[in-house]
Amino acid sequence: MAHVAVVRRSMRPEEWTDLRFVWLQRGIVSDQEEVTGLTIRDARQISENAYEYTDGEARPLNRGDLYFTPDGTAFIRGNARIPERFRGKNVYLALKTAAEMIVRVNGRLVGGIDPNRERILLNPYIDRDELEIEIEAYNRSKPDDERNPAALSKKGCRQVFDGLYLETIRDNVQSLVYDYILLMDIAHSEYFNEDYRKFLFAELSRALDKIDFDTWEGVDEAAAYVQKVIYDNTDFRGSGDVALVGHSHLDIAYYWRRIHAVQKNARTILIQLRLMDKYPEFKYTHTQAYTYETLEKYYPELFAELKEKIAKGQFEPVGAMYVEPDCNIPAAESLIRQFLYGQHYFRRAFGKTLDNAWLPDVFGNSWIMPQILKKSGVDYFVSNKMSTWNDTNRFPHNNFIWKGIDGSTVYACVPPTHFITWNMPSQIQENWEAYQDKEAGGQTLSMYGYGDGGSGVTEEMLELARRFSKVSVMPKTEMTGGAAFLHKNLKDNPKLATWDGELYLEMHRGTFTTKSNLKKMNRALEFKLREAELRASLAAREGAAYPAEELRECWKKLLLNQFHDILPGSHIHPVYEDAMADYREIDERLEKLLTAEQQDTWFNSLPWARTGLTFIPDETGEVCRDGQKGYWSRPGIAGLASGKAERLQGVPGWLKTAELPGGQLRIETPLYQLTLNPDGSFASWTMEGREWVRSGCGFNRLHLWADNPGVYDAWDILPNYKDVEAKLTVAEPVRQARADDVSAEFTVTFTTEKSSWRMIIRLFADSRAAEVEHIVDWHEKHRLAKVNFGPDLLTRELVCDTSAGFIRRPLTKNTSWEQARFETCHHKWFDMSETGAGIAVINSGKYGVGLEGDEVSLSLLRSTIRPDITSDMGNHDIRYLILPHAGDAVTAEINRQAFAYNVPLRKGKITVPEAWRQAVTESGLWLQSLKLAEDGGMLVARLSEQDGMRRQLRCPGRVRLLNMLEDIQGEAEQIDVRPFEIVTIGIPME
Amino acid sequence: MIRDYIEKTLAPRIQGDGGWVEYVSLEGDKLTLVFRGECSKCEILDRCENWIAAKIQEDLGQTVQVTGIRKKPFFWDK
Repeated sequence: MAHVAVVRRSMRPEEWTDLRFVWLQRGIVSDQEEVTGLTIRDARQISENAYEYTDGEARPLNRGDLYFTPDGTAFIRGNARIPERFRGKNVYLALKTAAEMIVRVNGRLVGGIDPNRERILLNPYIDRDELEIEIEAYNRSKPDDERNPAALSKKGCRQVFDGLYLETIRDNVQSLVYDYILLMDIAHSEYFNEDYRKFLFAELSRALDKIDFDTWEGVDEAAAYVQKVIYDNTDFRGSGDVALVGHSHLDIAYYWRRIHAVQKNARTILIQLRLMDKYPEFKYTHTQAYTYETLEKYYPELFAELKEKIAKGQFEPVGAMYVEPDCNIPAAESLIRQFLYGQHYFRRAFGKTLDNAWLPDVFGNSWIMPQILKKSGVDYFVSNKMSTWNDTNRFPHNNFIWKGIDGSTVYACVPPTHFITWNMPSQIQENWEAYQDKEAGGQTLSMYGYGDGGSGVTEEMLELARRFSKVSVMPKTEMTGGAAFLHKNLKDNPKLATWDGELYLEMHRGTFTTKSNLKKMNRALEFKLREAELRASLAAREGAAYPAEELRECWKKLLLNQFHDILPGSHIHPVYEDAMADYREIDERLEKLLTAEQQDTWFNSLPWARTGLTFIPDETGEVCRDGQKGYWSRPGIAGLASGKAERLQGVPGWLKTAELPGGQLRIETPLYQLTLNPDGSFASWTMEGREWVRSGCGFNRLHLWADNPGVYDAWDILPNYKDVEAKLTVAEPVRQARADDVSAEFTVTFTTEKSSWRMIIRLFADSRAAEVEHIVDWHEKHRLAKVNFGPDLLTRELVCDTSAGFIRRPLTKNTSWEQARFETCHHKWFDMSETGAGIAVINSGKYGVGLEGDEVSLSLLRSTIRPDITSDMGNHDIRYLILPHAGDAVTAEINRQAFAYNVPLRKGKITVPEAWRQAVTESGLWLQSLKLAEDGGMLVARLSEQDGMRRQLRCPGRVRLLNMLEDIQGEAEQIDVRPFEIVTIGIPME
Repeated sequence: MIRDYIEKTLAPRIQGDGGWVEYVSLEGDKLTLVFRGECSKCEILDRCENWIAAKIQEDLGQTVQVTGIRKKPFFWDK
């Protein structure tokens, strides 16, 4: 029997209700007066508070005109008078737009207009009928998160001006519209009971039957019917307990530059303050000290108002950090500074130390964080993506305890639904149903409010919240604050489960690699800041002025660029240009601080002797590395001491080479025999009879993979990336390029249709290490360059540096959790070892590492096109050191070698008090930072245990024990340091 | 002249909204441009093309008709 599809052509009863709901919304406005005589002046924002006018003088702006230009800010001005007929009524200023607007009337900030709100109540903020209107409007380019189709259809660089109006509204219609938004959402949502939805549709229709849509009579009767028949009905029951926390996520840069975030932030805060005026029960949470700092600087009037609302407890600063940084790539000291500068700001501005970190949008969280949180006064951690975006496994908890690499624990919450919701019943119900700790975790957290300049909570969300308790099928809800939710449900909760490990996000794995130059500069500047602070601190001890403000500004600029859509590379091209300009500026400023007078003395800032091969920049040097001329030295300078760095005297005749059939090159040194394939991969590497390269695997083998993750291009690497390998032609096979008595270089040149790639393999007369440098002119699209290492080792784990200790990751693919971690983040090194021997690869600015069963791959470059079609195009210089070793990563002191590889030796004759020098160098701890305290009263030294063992710091006198905020916690002379612990001590200046 | 104006003056502004414009050719008064990024799927790109023509007229005194070629990335090419 043939199947006959039944097409219903007449209107369903539900559609009849939907249609009349649209009509009902048209009845909100009762009277309207167009504001005419407006002018507009187009501008482009060029800094946080400066604009250049792009299209001449102000011109008239009339309804139907096109307005806005690409990347434009428009200043709209006009005068109006409130009509006599509006007297005694609430008067609104209304405009439908896809742009983001801050509105001043008679000089006072009255509110904001954007795609999610089109009307501002004027009465509380004006004292006369004559209105002088000033609108600062930024043309919104955010590609997602609006739910209003009408606004979406208006979106674009050139918009049609729909007119500016003074309006009065029918309050009873508006109220009934809110009832219908609430109840229609339930009626249409499959998260709710089917019988109740059927009941709702029927009764909502009957209520609308009472309204005359021409005269608007019957609205009050309809509202009374809804109250009596729907709200008062308790035959249907729901369950659940959901905490509602108002929040607006703000990307400081993404599809906009950071200069635009200043205005986005100000408008978001303004709108929330205006809502608080009207809804005293409304509480709102806002993150990032940087956003408060910019508000204070550029909108002082608004900031003063904000302080009042904070003091009243309505507006709640959350997230103790300076910005919401990426939490994979920044090193431990950077994360600590995020808290230090964040918390100190909140203390100065509001007298508060925040006890939570609030990072809903970051792409996974390093295992080093719990300790840093705890020691920065933060007991609670909020994130989100691993519970909502994981592509393979469902993260098993929402409210839990997170245990860090050193054993520190914090309370953690990763809510079960997205951090941007609009407080609809279906979203709240979905949250409850997805919540995995119903029996143990107390309430579940639902954040509501638009993000990124969508400007947070709306009046509609608050009106809905006032009605939630009237709907019997909804979970119980509580409007609360961020800290209040965390304290109520997590604090001292004995039922919470513990997650011991990193909070890996099974998505966005490409962000460890995208925009390679940002990562390289970030790494270099993290170490350069350390060097500058350390030297300045030691100089200050001897009476020199400490450049506190200069160093703080450099730090803050670096921290700002660690924002989670800047450093990870997920942004438009102008954001990249800004970041690189910032990096160059930081570099120049630090270089000035670091310039030393001594021309022939070098200061070793490592807390151990620098005995390894060290590259010394020198214009007369015969080696060219990373674009610099220089020579190789083994300085032998003791830790935290100064000395000479002479050119290494080598071994004449140490190198023997022979060409083999098939283009291979056999190399013999006093320490090993190495056979290189024509493409520079290692065919064999033997030392004292031991082979390091597994037969049949690539080792130092360069691959170009087709990399087509889709819409989340800059963010993601998919598990199938190895399905297609792109052609990489060996243009010039491996050959010896240069050699002297210390080192030799062998080069290979590759080409594709668009790119050229030179690999330099650098070998040394007296070292087992091989350094590889890749000099790339990169013009690919959708390609991922990786170099693979298949060592002849029996190991099932990869040991990865985290910057504050190491994490062991399984190389096996037995479980879906292991399979999902095919690309992870590491810092300076990874190591594969069997008992007694291993190989480490130490890098100078790479983070992505692929776990491929028996092989490991270091991710070098990507070439994504969204959001930036030029991403990673151009020149790159990438270096790593391959280091076969006896023992494991700890006994081979890989950490020390990795620090030495990343911290350049710089000139300077600097004296560290001998007793202190000995205490630090003998402790075996990494001197992570030495600085002057923020209050200038003492030296602050931070030392970290990197090898997972217990150590002791025996100080030459009593020191203050500090937390990471530099608060005094106690005193001691001898400090027992636990595995992976970071300790901070205060040393008197004298 | 027009190429330089597009690359140095207009393109940075369009990039500010996640878009991308490239000069292709000028034949007579027919100016051909390639649009990528967000521009490639913009529903009101014609308004932007008209703006480009108006800006060229205003700043360079030259009348052009803009023809835009959209180059959508594969993931939007449905």
